[in-house]
Amino acid sequence: MREIKTVTILGANGAMGSGSAGVIAAFGGAKVHMLARDVEKAKQGIEAAVASVKTDTIRARMIPGSYDADLEKAVAESDWVFELVAESYEVKEPINARIAKARRPGTIVSTVSSGLSIGRLAKAYDEDGQKHYYGTHFFNPPYKMILCELVTHSGNDKKVTQALGEYLEKVLGRAVVYTNDTPAFAGNRIGFQLMNEVAHFAEKYADKGGIALMDEIMSGYTGRAMGPLATADFVGLDVHKAIVDNIYDNTKDEAHETFKLPGYFQKLIDAGKLGMKSGGGLTKVVKHADGKREKFVYNIKTGEYDPYPKFDIPFIKEARQKIKDSDYKGAMDVVKNASGFEAEIARYFISRYISYSLSLVGEVVDTKENTDGAMGFGFNWVPASAFVDFLGGPKETIKMMEASKIPVPKLLKDAKEGKKFYELGDKLDARSLFKG
Amino acid sequence: MSEKVFVLGGEQTDFQRNWTKEGKTFMSMMREVLDDALEKVGISYDEIKRLNKENRVAVFVGNFDAEQYANQGHLGAFLTEVNPALFGVPGARYEAACASGSVALDAAITHIRAEDYDLAIVLGVEVMKTVSSSVGGDFLGTAAYYEKEAKGVQFPFPKLFGKLADVILERYELKEERFMDALAEISRINYANAKRNPKAQTRTWFMNKEHAMARGGANNMAVGGRLCITDCSQVTDGAAVTILASKDYAKEYAKKTGRKIDDIPRVKGWGHRVAPITFEAKKQESIGDKYILPWTRQTVKDAYKRADLDVKNIDVFETHDCFTSSEYAAISAFGISEPGKEHIAIEEGTIDFGGKKPINPSGGLIGVGHPVGASGVRMMLDLYKQVTGTAGDYQVKGAKNGLMLNIGGSATTNFVFIVGK
Repeated sequence: MREIKTVTILGANGAMGSGSAGVIAAFGGAKVHMLARDVEKAKQGIEAAVASVKTDTIRARMIPGSYDADLEKAVAESDWVFELVAESYEVKEPINARIAKARRPGTIVSTVSSGLSIGRLAKAYDEDGQKHYYGTHFFNPPYKMILCELVTHSGNDKKVTQALGEYLEKVLGRAVVYTNDTPAFAGNRIGFQLMNEVAHFAEKYADKGGIALMDEIMSGYTGRAMGPLATADFVGLDVHKAIVDNIYDNTKDEAHETFKLPGYFQKLIDAGKLGMKSGGGLTKVVKHADGKREKFVYNIKTGEYDPYPKFDIPFIKEARQKIKDSDYKGAMDVVKNASGFEAEIARYFISRYISYSLSLVGEVVDTKENTDGAMGFGFNWVPASAFVDFLGGPKETIKMMEASKIPVPKLLKDAKEGKKFYELGDKLDARSLFKG
Repeated sequence: MSEKVFVLGGEQTDFQRNWTKEGKTFMSMMREVLDDALEKVGISYDEIKRLNKENRVAVFVGNFDAEQYANQGHLGAFLTEVNPALFGVPGARYEAACASGSVALDAAITHIRAEDYDLAIVLGVEVMKTVSSSVGGDFLGTAAYYEKEAKGVQFPFPKLFGKLADVILERYELKEERFMDALAEISRINYANAKRNPKAQTRTWFMNKEHAMARGGANNMAVGGRLCITDCSQVTDGAAVTILASKDYAKEYAKKTGRKIDDIPRVKGWGHRVAPITFEAKKQESIGDKYILPWTRQTVKDAYKRADLDVKNIDVFETHDCFTSSEYAAISAFGISEPGKEHIAIEEGTIDFGGKKPINPSGGLIGVGHPVGASGVRMMLDLYKQVTGTAGDYQVKGAKNGLMLNIGGSATTNFVFIVGK
């Protein structure tokens, strides 16, 4: 096991920086240099780290510092430098140049990034530095969301990768998913594909219920705690745009067109309506004088906010009841056999999600367990392979995909009937991710 | 009795799950855990139908307080909702506070020993996340003498087990620092063990000795005298199933699954004693006795005697660490140390995962979580896993015999079972 006693966190005052530092100081017991633009901000990061893991015991081993005064000294004594500064080459590259000069041979350097090229960022380093440079994509908040995408590039050494993976898993308690250096890696590539295509459908069916209807169709019975568009509103439409634009610009796969940002997203972003963090986006909540809260949803046609509607879609009600009774296959039978355009949309997106997840095996990840882990641990969505089992196996799933005109990935075509397709059952009970 | 009752295995739910948040109920939990258990053990619903025709199968449901947590009684009948194969199968619910799982096991074992049934499905279940922790704390108060010990008291049980810590400290004239260090070590061990258990409630939570020692303050609040949050097990939603069988059925089962009957563990001994219900009465009664919980010790002795075994024969223990103080007292009750010298066993690493007498390799109630009515059944299942070498990452090497202690109330109802091959 790799010994990591001293860590430097760059971007210590951000939510990801402080949350990750809390995990490293607590689980890893490491001394952590908390670096920010100024010492005051770094001190705020330390308090946020303590609050995130709820233990005062880490405060004493967290040392505040600033980039200007402390970076070189902190890096020189660190076993791991974890950089979490803003998501752009312009900000990360100059910092990398300074880390590269100060680091000792053997020190691991990693970045948290949702989509920048790890290989390009690694170029700031000499051969030993490139060997030890990784993407360690933690999810927010790090204490609760245990996924870590460990992103490798062609210059890495397999032994170092293995040692780092073991440390992240065994010491820091992360669910480690190994991904290749491809745009947005595994979790965001799959998750934002679905979210963005659902957003397009909301526009297409704006007259029938738009955003609210699409989230209803893709609600808990399809294996997620939060609807895809509510998730986009939660992460912020600006972040959503950055991720889908990056994937659109840098990939050419079967779902390429679905990564185009919908026009109404851009309109909302231009108006500063970025989602929940800015008080409104796809939805907004208004607090009335009597203290009651009312939820509204953006009307794509009119540009106004309408009261959030309630739907009464019989097959969804029936499927939810089955989930409530823990009859998951029964719920999927309801979805498979229901009629009406809402059921067709549900089948289309479940098919798309499974197909797209499995199609990335070989390019983004080496095994389907990695995409399954990314979605299960990172998004709390039922992993694609588990869906195949709940749908009744590969043949049944292929039948649904073909009816929805979704490409069938080779992995599914080659799968053996009658054998469990989902293999992470001991690590993640996929049933817990369905909501009745 | 070791030739009478065999343990075929079972399954538990993931104790990290919050079924209310998932929009599911105790009913869905029973369905999942029973389906999983039967699949794991390799018994089909058709097989249950077959046995039922000859009145050879029964179900025993351990549950403490579904009336308050889930607004539902009559749980023994609810397995008929799980699967129609259970229509007509004798089934009833058993209650003894946190020992509800054990009283269900006891009933099942007794019926098999009496040759009433060949197969007994024991299912412990509790949903607890349906209410806030303070409301739940009040519900749990009914496991004590509510009128005298819990009415109007916030979180009565940490306070009762805090008193147990006080008595241990005073009676054995221990140095407070050393005693509290020992309690912190119990927390540390249970949380560390739970990290290896994929079904444990706390497997992703942060805890270490340093944090357990940092008692007081917002992050490790005092909840019962000397006891702080890190000294407590935490309630959760969960269910567990253990399937027991007669020798005749175990033989059939062994043949069908290509095993030898000697490879199937059996219940070698049991003990069941009830101490005075109030903590004050327990304290008074124990004055002059070497043991602060003499009835707990007696329960262990009864089980050893019936099994014709002693502490030296037991390779692994699952104990009722509802609080660190209850595990502390159990160490001498098991005979691992002399009473008053439990801290030495802890300091020397005897009860640690790699120690000579490991306690709670599963993580115990502190680490695995404490769905009250399920805990006893979960302990029996863990003994099964240990003695069959199927505990995965938390396997104690070479475990042949295991002992479980499950208590209800403030060590009022005491149950001990010994399982081995």
